[in-house]
Amino acid sequence: MAAFEYRQAEEIRDAFARHGIRYLFIGKSGAILLGYPDTTQDADLFVEKSPANASIVQALRDLGFALSEPQAAEIIRGKDFVQLKNGPFDLDLVFAPDGIESFAEAWSRRVEVEGFPVCHPDDIIASKRSANRAKDRESLPRLEAFRDYWRQRRR
Amino acid sequence: MQPGETARAGWDEPAVSREWLAEFEAAAARPLEQRMRYAFIRTYKPVLDDAPFRAFDSMSDYREWCERSLPVWLGFHR
Repeated sequence: MAAFEYRQAEEIRDAFARHGIRYLFIGKSGAILLGYPDTTQDADLFVEKSPANASIVQALRDLGFALSEPQAAEIIRGKDFVQLKNGPFDLDLVFAPDGIESFAEAWSRRVEVEGFPVCHPDDIIASKRSANRAKDRESLPRLEAFRDYWRQRRR
Repeated sequence: MQPGETARAGWDEPAVSREWLAEFEAAAARPLEQRMRYAFIRTYKPVLDDAPFRAFDSMSDYREWCERSLPVWLGFHR
């Protein structure tokens, strides 16, 4: 499997828009869209939970993810975290990220980068701080420095 | 100058080190498509990459699974 590419981010944007799904890039992939220089393997999306989770399944199938009926049913039932490695790129769907109160609040603070909706760096940091894994603790000082730099550039 | 030391007067705390500032400014000068080409990589992660699909009822279920199943060196342990 090849690494995630800009073209695939565009495909996510278009497929989710077609199906009326609200989402935000989050995690390191979100930070990278904001300009954070680092490496990562997969795209992380904070997806709004809704009764229309069936449309998420359709959007994922449009993107080329091979979801079986039982897998689709799990997404529709409303799991909080789904890890997909059965498509053209690795994708994590997060419906209730650590450290963020609600999708609506994160959406209200979102940053648009070339048409891609991205979590505000404060939310990305809050999520990583709350997850508190070893890899999060290692990355936080540099990510916080980037957040300060990013704020200064926007003034 | 070491990471963490102030590189430029006027930047808010926490200070941005000269090394990090240079990296941030270099990234900011690149188009998004190029930044993504540099940023997204593929390496094999044992266990994590060995199933095509996983779903967890809650984030705490996922965190527990990571701690139980993944090698510590992957960094997913708290």
